[in-house]
Amino acid sequence: MYANKERIYRVIFNTKEDRNNEIWATVPAALKPAAEEGIPEVEKSARLWDHDFGKTASIQADNQNFTEEKLYYADSEFFDIFQIDFIYGNAENQLDRPNTGVLSESTAFKYFGNINPIGKTINIDNKIKLEVTGVYNDFPGNSSLDGNIIGSFKSIGFYKEPSWSNASFETYFLLNKDADPTAVNTKMQKLIDANVEKEDQWYTLDLQPLERMHLFSANIKSAYTSKLGSIEEVRNFSLLAILILLIACINYMNLATARSQKSTKDVGINKTLGASQKILIARFFTETAFVTLIAIILAFPLTFLSLPVFEKIVGSSLSLNFLLSLEFLGAILAIWLITTLIAGSFPALHLSRFSPMEVIRSGRDKESFSAFLRKGLVIVQFSASVILIIASVVIYNQLEFMRNKNLGYNPENTMAVSIAALKSNAERETLINQFESISEVSSATMAQGYPGISVSGRTLYKNMNSDESTPLKTNRTKGGVVETLQLKLLAGKDLPENKQETDSIVDVVLNKNAVDFLGITPQEAIGKNIIANLGPNAYVIGVVDDFNFSSLRTPIGAYAFNNGFEPLRYMLVRFKSNDLPQTLGKFKETFGEIAPTVAFDYTFLDSHVEQMYASEKRTAQAALTFAGLAIFVACLGLFGLAAFMAEQRTKEVGVRKVLGASVSSITRLLSKDFITLVVIALMIAFPLAYWMARKWLQEFSYRIEIGWQIFAIAGILAILIAAVTVSFQAIKAAISNPIHSLKNE
Amino acid sequence: MLKLEHIYKWVSSGGRRIFLLNDLNLKVEEGEFLSIMGPSGSGKSTLLNVVAMLDDFQEGEYFFEEEAIHSLKPKKRTEIFNQNIGFIFQAYHLLDDLTVYENIETPLLYKKVKSSERKALVADILDRFNIVGKKDLFPHQLSGGQQQLVGIARALIIKPKLILADEPTGNLNSKQSDEIMGLFKDLNNDGVTIIQATHSESNAEYGSRTIHLLDGTVQKS
Repeated sequence: MYANKERIYRVIFNTKEDRNNEIWATVPAALKPAAEEGIPEVEKSARLWDHDFGKTASIQADNQNFTEEKLYYADSEFFDIFQIDFIYGNAENQLDRPNTGVLSESTAFKYFGNINPIGKTINIDNKIKLEVTGVYNDFPGNSSLDGNIIGSFKSIGFYKEPSWSNASFETYFLLNKDADPTAVNTKMQKLIDANVEKEDQWYTLDLQPLERMHLFSANIKSAYTSKLGSIEEVRNFSLLAILILLIACINYMNLATARSQKSTKDVGINKTLGASQKILIARFFTETAFVTLIAIILAFPLTFLSLPVFEKIVGSSLSLNFLLSLEFLGAILAIWLITTLIAGSFPALHLSRFSPMEVIRSGRDKESFSAFLRKGLVIVQFSASVILIIASVVIYNQLEFMRNKNLGYNPENTMAVSIAALKSNAERETLINQFESISEVSSATMAQGYPGISVSGRTLYKNMNSDESTPLKTNRTKGGVVETLQLKLLAGKDLPENKQETDSIVDVVLNKNAVDFLGITPQEAIGKNIIANLGPNAYVIGVVDDFNFSSLRTPIGAYAFNNGFEPLRYMLVRFKSNDLPQTLGKFKETFGEIAPTVAFDYTFLDSHVEQMYASEKRTAQAALTFAGLAIFVACLGLFGLAAFMAEQRTKEVGVRKVLGASVSSITRLLSKDFITLVVIALMIAFPLAYWMARKWLQEFSYRIEIGWQIFAIAGILAILIAAVTVSFQAIKAAISNPIHSLKNE
Repeated sequence: MLKLEHIYKWVSSGGRRIFLLNDLNLKVEEGEFLSIMGPSGSGKSTLLNVVAMLDDFQEGEYFFEEEAIHSLKPKKRTEIFNQNIGFIFQAYHLLDDLTVYENIETPLLYKKVKSSERKALVADILDRFNIVGKKDLFPHQLSGGQQQLVGIARALIIKPKLILADEPTGNLNSKQSDEIMGLFKDLNNDGVTIIQATHSESNAEYGSRTIHLLDGTVQKS
């Protein structure tokens, strides 16, 4: 996509053990200028800073307020590295001056309509003004970069004082044509050595090729883009696709060998007429290849028709341009050949091997091997289907569990309103007072963050002289946070409503986990001075019970609300409303009166919690879709096989009917064998599914127990589906008139 | 015992009716051993199927022991058939996967006879037919004559009033054939009514009466 894509790298930040060896996509701002001087291989480099460390920006343009999540500040080389076409303005010399910026086409249209916006000004959070100097084509759908507004890096304070300790900047290198990335790595380390004291080096740097960014970044934190793919997901989907194709192959083999009982005679006759085994094998493979070819041709229009379903599963829009690309057609050709080989192998080799006499003479013994194989294949199919059913049920149950789990706070009827763009603390105070006077608001407070988003990371020490420590999340808030989030107070009290700006005492409300770490009871903790880089005068005034401040994947750690000194970015509001749109309207109006130049940007805490599990939800949907598909295909096979078996046993059915068998007893007789197969499949599938489900659930610190009910549901479902499929054929055979099948030869 | 009056049965082919049974009249008394003769396609099998209530007819009346079969529901017909009639096939039609013993037992299972009673009945008939030693063999391990013996035993196990045999010796050699016919004669003497369809004059002679069928009608009686 980008002309130099194989020479573009993102710098990766590897933290050391004391930060759990986390890998970040953001690096210190000082790297770029140092690399430009010290690493000749770096042809161009550019930093990106996500506005206010990833917070939503409030934008004023043409006297209208907007919110923008994708606002970056970038060095002027950015558009040299990533070549994007400009609609207004040139790609050259963009972002050269402070307080300039460029807009994406759709953003420019949103703010200014259909005019050329060059020279217009946008006001960001009432703090930074940017002059628009260009409009670029929206980043393509398959691009990981996703900025809607890109301001010049020179507009922000970090430009003048780049540090080696604040790793908050995505940095891209365009290397020379023959550059060796490992050499660049070594040189980056030299730069660190030259600029950072050995004992302060809590990280190393590394390069990630642009082309690996999308799929191989699952373990990389703090990356800016939200358009992240996962190779894991790609592999899982491929695996499922192969599984279904395999089930379909099994069907083909099953039906082919079933039918072979009829065509064996044909084979025998051909052999007596002089056909060699080679010719016969070729014949079977040709037949199979033809069937597979028709399937492939049908698959193309079906892909187009089912595109919306796929898009729903993966949660993004897909382009089908690749369908006619050479690589893809090559892959299809390979799939065609492999499928034909697999599906055709058994019938071809099995049938052509028969000796003519054995084939022509219809006996019982020679059937047994293929009958055995058919049964084995049906078992495999149903095992796979049952595993998929159980997988979807487990995933759905886990999702339900997470949705309904008592989080230790109450995310319902609570919203977080961005207040970072408000001009002053006085304005914030006015705002919260106004909100508290709205009848629907039961309580409100201001905070640095809220559960589910990142707050400050500090370290809590056991005592003054101890090295024993635990990571501590700290969240600066105003008074009333315990009340607003509905946390359970175990001892002491909520943070006080009033605190002087000059007061150097920091009040702290710890969670139970932190108190447990200190080895004291909640009551004992009250009044204690804690050592957690919160200043020398941090005293515990309250203890709340543990609550899930991040996702349920991770266990609860130590947490501290405090009235320290970090900026307050959100107003948390608990409200009661019978008419949400009306209440929201009221909120917006009140907000607009106090901060007319700031967009009213809010998040409901409960929907934020839901969002944390979006990927699990996708997995569940995918598993369900594939389970349905697999079962459908498996049933098709079972249906055909049952039809064949019923046909093969028409004589027996006739005899039994003449001997007085009822329709129901015949149906039972014919269905019994298949149900037995399904039951065996269940026996195989259950332990496998249990093992897989347990492994998947390990990812969650809070997870469901895998109860027997799940297996019961899956088992009953599988048997029911198989019974319906088979009994259709069985009943058909059972109600037929026996005299037709018993005609004398 | 049974009475067929003006039975017509046809199939339509290319707009024309091909008559399988054409104004057929037949009366069979209890205790009779009737042989039906006639060339291939004369309607012998069709007649037996109609008598067995396995096949429908378009016109006419059929009374089985005062029961008007032509106006009964299929389920009731099946019930009468299951209670009263044993059917013997030319091709034996034993169940391949079952042993001799199980083959004979099968009709009793469908009649829901109790296990102990079943054992006694099957043992009894095995003994009577002298095939006790073969009870655990599978059909393909028996000769044709032995297979037909099992077929007859299976038909008799429900103690039918009427035995219908469609060319019972058609696949057998003359010695086996004579044995089977002798068996039929004995059964008849015990009071079982028998109707057999046959090609063979000598077999027909075992019967107490012979009718000749041609183009679906009785020629002379």
